[in-house]
Amino acid sequence: MNNIISNLKSTVISSLTSAMQQGWQHFTPERQASQPPAAQSLQLQLTVKRGAFTLELNHSLSLHGVTALFGRSGCGKTTLLRAIAGLDRHAGAQIRCNDVIWQQGNRFMPVYQRRIGMVFQHSSLLPHLTALQNLLYGFKRRVKHSTVQLEPAQVISLLELESLLPLQPEQLSGGQRQRIALGRALLSQPELLLLDEPLASLDQQSRNEILPFLQRVAHHTGIPMLLVSHQLDDVVKLADQLVLMQDGRIISQGSLPQQLLQPELAASGAMSLLYAQSQGCNNHLLQLSIGKQQLQLPAPLSNTGTQTAYRLRIQARDVALSLKPLNDSSVSNQLKVSISGFNNAPHPAETLVQLELVGQPLQALLTKQSAERLGLQVGQQVYAQIKAVALD
Amino acid sequence: MMPELFAALSPQDWQAIRLTLKLCLYTTAILLLLATPLAWWLALRQSKLRTAIQAIVALPLVLPPTVLGFYLLLLLGPHGAIGSTLERLGLSHLAFSFSGILIGSVIYSLPFAVQPLLESFRRMGPGPLEVAATLGAGKLDQLFSVVLPLCRGGFIVAATLTFAHTLGEFGVILMLGGSIPGETQVLSVLIYDHTEAMNYAQAHQLSLGLLISAFVVLFIVYGLNRRFEREAVL
Repeated sequence: MNNIISNLKSTVISSLTSAMQQGWQHFTPERQASQPPAAQSLQLQLTVKRGAFTLELNHSLSLHGVTALFGRSGCGKTTLLRAIAGLDRHAGAQIRCNDVIWQQGNRFMPVYQRRIGMVFQHSSLLPHLTALQNLLYGFKRRVKHSTVQLEPAQVISLLELESLLPLQPEQLSGGQRQRIALGRALLSQPELLLLDEPLASLDQQSRNEILPFLQRVAHHTGIPMLLVSHQLDDVVKLADQLVLMQDGRIISQGSLPQQLLQPELAASGAMSLLYAQSQGCNNHLLQLSIGKQQLQLPAPLSNTGTQTAYRLRIQARDVALSLKPLNDSSVSNQLKVSISGFNNAPHPAETLVQLELVGQPLQALLTKQSAERLGLQVGQQVYAQIKAVALD
Repeated sequence: MMPELFAALSPQDWQAIRLTLKLCLYTTAILLLLATPLAWWLALRQSKLRTAIQAIVALPLVLPPTVLGFYLLLLLGPHGAIGSTLERLGLSHLAFSFSGILIGSVIYSLPFAVQPLLESFRRMGPGPLEVAATLGAGKLDQLFSVVLPLCRGGFIVAATLTFAHTLGEFGVILMLGGSIPGETQVLSVLIYDHTEAMNYAQAHQLSLGLLISAFVVLFIVYGLNRRFEREAVL
């Protein structure tokens, strides 16, 4: 009896899947998909009081690429994101996206009319639908009202979802569910993608499985993303800009490399982010250039040679400084930089040296004693030895 | 075995069976329409009124049916607020009529429709609806594409329980409707009449029929409950 039912089930699923696949055969790559918007501007005016907690904002956020909404748990990030989405309605709030009023006075555009895609922290797949039906839930509803910027076939190949499509949500791992949820949000043709700690509920292995896909989405779709996170590790791998929140306020916003200089972010280990161009690969060594300066790094084993731009994450404690270039050191990556300032480090015996490299900031963590011994001063040219780099 | 158990049912018995089924079906249909928004409101809204409404909904569970029937008789009868208004409008009052006992059984079975729905709405929570809304589904769309399939179990249990509970209704109907054949004489009342008239054989026939059908309905409800609980666990 059970056999009959399971056979029946698999027949239904496979016929359904093949029907759906035939259904999107007409979405050939040639069919011109319209370009998603490159940037969104959000005007926010919002006051939320909840017990002792107050969220108070009056800001304009210019969103392009990936913008991280970063801050400790409980600082109001998710509250803000839910208000932007329209999931919570706060009296007196004003929210505008470009020139469209989402909320002002008595006007409140309901969630389903806002052109957003949202990925929630916990698995949000609708349990009564298959992965495929989940994936197409938003597509079917939004595609009637808008030009198609992303086709199911594109998203399925971008996120490598093919083999998951016939499965039920409970048959998927946490990371796979988030991948389907991400694809589903993308297919709802959003002009803005809201990600509420999409990695927080996942174990380390699943995080590592989904991060590359988030990076791909950021690179390939161009849809502005607002990523809520309290993990700096995730943020530096993904974000281009960072909005820093503390105790219900936005305390600064700007490009990620600049924001990494903020003392609030340095507290958990100062780091820097450099953008470099790839010049190709030689003997498994990736040749990178920043301005006229060169770096060589072991190429990632998964390297396909197609990536032209890289993000280099460098911990401040992995940067050493010398007054002259070192030729008899094992550290082969040496960059000529100029000192632009000094910041206090969390430890009283240390100092964070702010460096500049063709307009890009870099930080080095030295003891105050070393800095004095070298006689480091603002404006001085020095050589930075980079001991370790994480590549994205 | 008593041979009279298998004797043919009288036309009066058949009339009562038809009337009972009609009452059960009408009550179930009306209650599903009423209880869905009510249970929805109770499950998902935070309101000061909620506790009071919940208590009122549960009242028919604890009140003797005679009390409920008595007050409905006062209200719907020729001198009651509703009954006299209807009379003034040229309509007839609702005591001792099918409409009257229909109103009575809707109120009497209200908790049996609301509770299972409330339970399944709570189990679902607001999450799936928020997801659907961010994907472009409006309210009605959410009802059909998310709430109905996810709370299917709750709806089926609510419908069967309401049906079965109306089947067993006696006190409210006797108080409010009396025993008018074809109008208010449902099975439970007819069994009472047969017994009063010492027609034990006929009372036995109908009682046994009710007993078996009530068992079958409850058996189905519990079977469904188990199945939906299993589904919810997955």
